[in-house]
Amino acid sequence: MISITHFLIVSACIFSLGIYAILAKRNAIMILVGIELIINAAILNFVAFGRYDKIHYGGQVFALFAMVLAAAAVAVGLAIILNVYRHYRTINPDQITDLKD
Amino acid sequence: MELFLFYAFAVLAIGSALLLVSLRNTARSLFLFFITLFGMAGLFLFAFADFVAITQIMVYVGGVLILMIFAFMLSNKELLQDLQHGKNSLMAFTRWQAVFVSVGFLVVLTYALWQWDSEGLPLWMQQNIQDGNIIQATDNNIPQLGIKFMTEYVLAFEVISIFLLMALIGASHIARKEPEND
Amino acid sequence: MLAATPHNTLLYAVIATVCLPLLAFIYQAVKGRSAQTGIPSITAIIGSLLLASYIAVQVWNQPPIHFQYSWFTLGENTFYIGILLNNLTALMLVLVPLIAVPVHIYSTAYMQGDAGIHRYWMYLSLFCFAMLGLLVVDNLLLMYIFWELVGFASYLLIGFWYTRESAVQANKKAFLINRIGDLGFLIGIAIIFSEFGTLDLHALFSENGLLSQMDNLSSTWLTAAGIAFFIGAMAKSAQFPLHVWLPDAMEGPTAVSSLIHAATMVAAGVFLLARIFPLFNEHALLVISIVGTLTACTAACFALAQYDIKKILAYSTISQLGYMMVGVGIGAYDTAIFHLLTHAFFKCLLFLAAGAVIHEMQHLKQHVQGDFDPQDLRNMGGLKRWMPKTAILMGLASLALAGFPLTSGFLSKDALIISTFEWASERGLVYQLIPALLILVSILTAFYSARLIFKAFFGEPRLPYFHGVEKHPVHEPGASMLWPMVFLGICCLFPLFSLNPFSSSHSWILSGLAVPHSFAAIHALHLLIPSMLVTGTVLSITLAWKWYAQDKYPLNAQSALMLAAEKQFYINEFNQRIWVNGILGIAKGAYWLDRHIVDGLVQLFAGCVQYISKVSSWVDTHIVDGLVNGLAALTYWLGNIFRQAQNGKIQSYFLAAFFTLFMGLLYLIFS
Repeated sequence: MISITHFLIVSACIFSLGIYAILAKRNAIMILVGIELIINAAILNFVAFGRYDKIHYGGQVFALFAMVLAAAAVAVGLAIILNVYRHYRTINPDQITDLKD
Repeated sequence: MELFLFYAFAVLAIGSALLLVSLRNTARSLFLFFITLFGMAGLFLFAFADFVAITQIMVYVGGVLILMIFAFMLSNKELLQDLQHGKNSLMAFTRWQAVFVSVGFLVVLTYALWQWDSEGLPLWMQQNIQDGNIIQATDNNIPQLGIKFMTEYVLAFEVISIFLLMALIGASHIARKEPEND
Repeated sequence: MLAATPHNTLLYAVIATVCLPLLAFIYQAVKGRSAQTGIPSITAIIGSLLLASYIAVQVWNQPPIHFQYSWFTLGENTFYIGILLNNLTALMLVLVPLIAVPVHIYSTAYMQGDAGIHRYWMYLSLFCFAMLGLLVVDNLLLMYIFWELVGFASYLLIGFWYTRESAVQANKKAFLINRIGDLGFLIGIAIIFSEFGTLDLHALFSENGLLSQMDNLSSTWLTAAGIAFFIGAMAKSAQFPLHVWLPDAMEGPTAVSSLIHAATMVAAGVFLLARIFPLFNEHALLVISIVGTLTACTAACFALAQYDIKKILAYSTISQLGYMMVGVGIGAYDTAIFHLLTHAFFKCLLFLAAGAVIHEMQHLKQHVQGDFDPQDLRNMGGLKRWMPKTAILMGLASLALAGFPLTSGFLSKDALIISTFEWASERGLVYQLIPALLILVSILTAFYSARLIFKAFFGEPRLPYFHGVEKHPVHEPGASMLWPMVFLGICCLFPLFSLNPFSSSHSWILSGLAVPHSFAAIHALHLLIPSMLVTGTVLSITLAWKWYAQDKYPLNAQSALMLAAEKQFYINEFNQRIWVNGILGIAKGAYWLDRHIVDGLVQLFAGCVQYISKVSSWVDTHIVDGLVNGLAALTYWLGNIFRQAQNGKIQSYFLAAFFTLFMGLLYLIFS
């Protein structure tokens, strides 16, 4: 049986990589991928802890819920990216600076 | 053997994720993302979450990833031009900021884990281990999960179904073709 | 306390009686502008009438029936929702729809073609619902709710023609004055609750209720509670000096006025007093009788000098309400309720007839394009030639109001005055003033109602339009206006109330209510007083005939006393001057204070500051500015650097967010 610390270390690595992808990538799709990586790290934590809860199965159930949320987020996010692309003709977040005042 | 396999999957997931973020070609990155997800699914198995692992492959690989590649292809042309411009952006200032923050997170999380580990497991986990209420490799999780979904978590289940439906309708509404005159 | 099963049909009947108008209200509120016929309202009120009759038959002369269900619990006190049925409730429960049905039918013709008629039916149903609810509920809290609802519905109806400025003013006034009363009611409820811990009428006031068991209750509180409730009733039942809203409430449609005056609004106050009668001790009762007498006298005087046909009726209502209050005050609330019942019929009829007259005068005004007030008595006269049936009906109602024999008013008014005499004779000479004044008021009543009739229907027409017009626009009202009036006219006669036209003591209402009087009956008075009253009435009617019908008016209409009476002794002006202007004066004073003292101080201070600032300005330009300019340059330079953070790129924002999170984590872990 693998100790829980192993899982947590792996998930911390994936989490950090997700943050890096969000911050550094020059493509909105890759930002979305970064978000997915973070969510996957969270799911890994859920199942790792969920192993110690046979009565409620809380970890696994909420891992599945998180997955559904992630799928929804991807669907909406990609739709937004498509619209952004139609509007600006680019999906490089560096070139979309309408938030600037 | 078990530990070895675990490490193999962990290295697969982390390595491909590392490669994913450092590659500049988005198409390759997306395929590497597939490998990462696969590796993660493998890791789920070691936590005896077989159903979650299968769902991971089905939802992510079968749905999310396809959707991403699809979106990528729709916006591909401009992207290539983008890439040609910022050739040596590896040295760019923003990149180092990102590296600093993400490595900082990793260090802090690892440190926190290390501290937590030295404190020993939380009480509820110890209690469950004592009572034998932990999931074993021989357990059959799927019927249990089904029962839990339909009993204990039925409200959350219904809410999330509605939520997913709304998100999908919303997404398709946002993504539809605008009329030409707009 | 819980409902016994055989009564369940009764319970449903009560609920249906109360809720039918509510359903009509909701239905019409939902249908909005398209609900113009008023059929839902009429159907509902007729249904209520039928059910109420059934209930009355079941309840009459039975022990009180009480249904109660727990409503909500606040701390340790559970509040109940329930229904209390006794003879009093049964009587009123029949009376309200019985008056409301003719008014509804009358309204179909009277309000025909009005632009807001859908609102009219809606409000009318709400009004009936509120009043019916007020009658049946079993505790003071619920009663208060319906009490407010009655006030609110009357507010809506008085201001029904909201485009008229005077109507808006009138409904505002009615609402504000009723608020004073509501405050009294609320204080009364608070006192009761703090003393007894329950608001349940049955538990409080039944024969062996809490009130009769608690002898050691502080009489101060009891008096205070009684007076607080009486203030509530004063505002609703228009007692002096809170009566000022009622004459102004004439701005509403006449059919509404008749409903307000006869059965719903003003009756609520008297009903409240009768319902909680055991609460009142000697002191509170004395206050009630004095206020009642005062109201009866002043309102009768005011009525003498009014020219507006509706205002005369309004003052007569106030005066008659004064009678009822005296009836409650002397402990004979059965006679008060009896008078309320008889009064309801003839006052409703008076208003409906007056409405018909106004309606026709309005037609005339439109027909001849004239410019005159259709409600002013001075513009009428000789109308009986064109409206004989209306004249007869109105005359009949006026006779009832004046207390003429063979009418219902004779029975109830005599019963009331006799009781007052009996009450006073046990107490002393000063108390004799009250019945004496009541007799005077009764004669005055006869006089002004005769004046109204003679001025409107007899004599020669005063307007030039009446002469030489071939096809005259003034005629009898249509069937749907006339038949309700005929019905009410029949109800003004004695047989409905007592088989013996000259004595009320055996009428079914008085024996049904069976209130034990605190004073002994004096049989001699039962002959003496009616004959006195009749003589006085006949004399005053004769005088009025001389003065008004034959136009031999001996007094100066412009004399100060007459004007004072017309202006109701300047009570409105008094209110305006003391309350409104007083508050305005205080506000002006405060403004002056603010302007001259506070502002002066501020300006003085400002002057000082200005001087100091001039000095410092020199220092500033020459010494500080150098520093500041340096600082500004630094700030500009820094700002330029930080400005770049606001670059509109989402990833920089992400970076900032994650960095903050990171720092927060560091803090959490290492602190």
